[in-house]
Amino acid sequence: MTRGFSLIAIGALLALTATQTFAAGDPARGKTKIATCVACHGTDGNSVDPQYPRLAGQYADYLAQALHEYKDGRRGNAIMKGFAATLSDQDIDDVSAYFSSMPSKLSGLEGHVQGD
Amino acid sequence: MKCLHLVGLIAVALCATSAAHAEGDKSRGRTLVYTCHGCHGVPGYANAYPDYHVPHIAGQNELYLVNALKAYKTGERKHPTMGAQAQSMSDKDIADIAAYLSSLAK
Repeated sequence: MTRGFSLIAIGALLALTATQTFAAGDPARGKTKIATCVACHGTDGNSVDPQYPRLAGQYADYLAQALHEYKDGRRGNAIMKGFAATLSDQDIDDVSAYFSSMPSKLSGLEGHVQGD
Repeated sequence: MKCLHLVGLIAVALCATSAAHAEGDKSRGRTLVYTCHGCHGVPGYANAYPDYHVPHIAGQNELYLVNALKAYKTGERKHPTMGAQAQSMSDKDIADIAAYLSSLAK
């Protein structure tokens, strides 16, 4: 009985670690894949031109979501669609991890609403 | 000649109005973002489905925010909650919100 449980526990642990290793983006690897991004978004992801979003410090999973949406056409933007089309799922995770790790000018809205 | 003067005056007036229009009112924006705060002001808060963090918007670039909100409003950019929120915003609301949020860059 205990043995059965241990096996299940080990199995579950393995499954969890496996997904995590697969899903995790690597900022260092991401840094080698951003050559096309920097023209508009800046090397550190703090776009100077106000029409382009700042990426630095943004949640990595939000950035990845945006890239997937550009890639599959759910989010329509001719320029971003072209770039996202060249990225694999791993590339998307890596690039997102890189920009997310950069020093940010962004923050949540907490503390910024009327009355605070 | 008088007519030309008048045309000139009208042109200047038009330019002045559109410039004033483009400039968002930050203090009005500060009041308007009260609603945004419910999702964008909760650290680590995640979108229900698909599961990803609600993005940081304080400090985001102004024109990007204006374009994003307008795209949500027209339905060009799709997100159930944001679509509904943007529906209720006038162009002035959008400009004011964007002016305030972009002014918060750290």
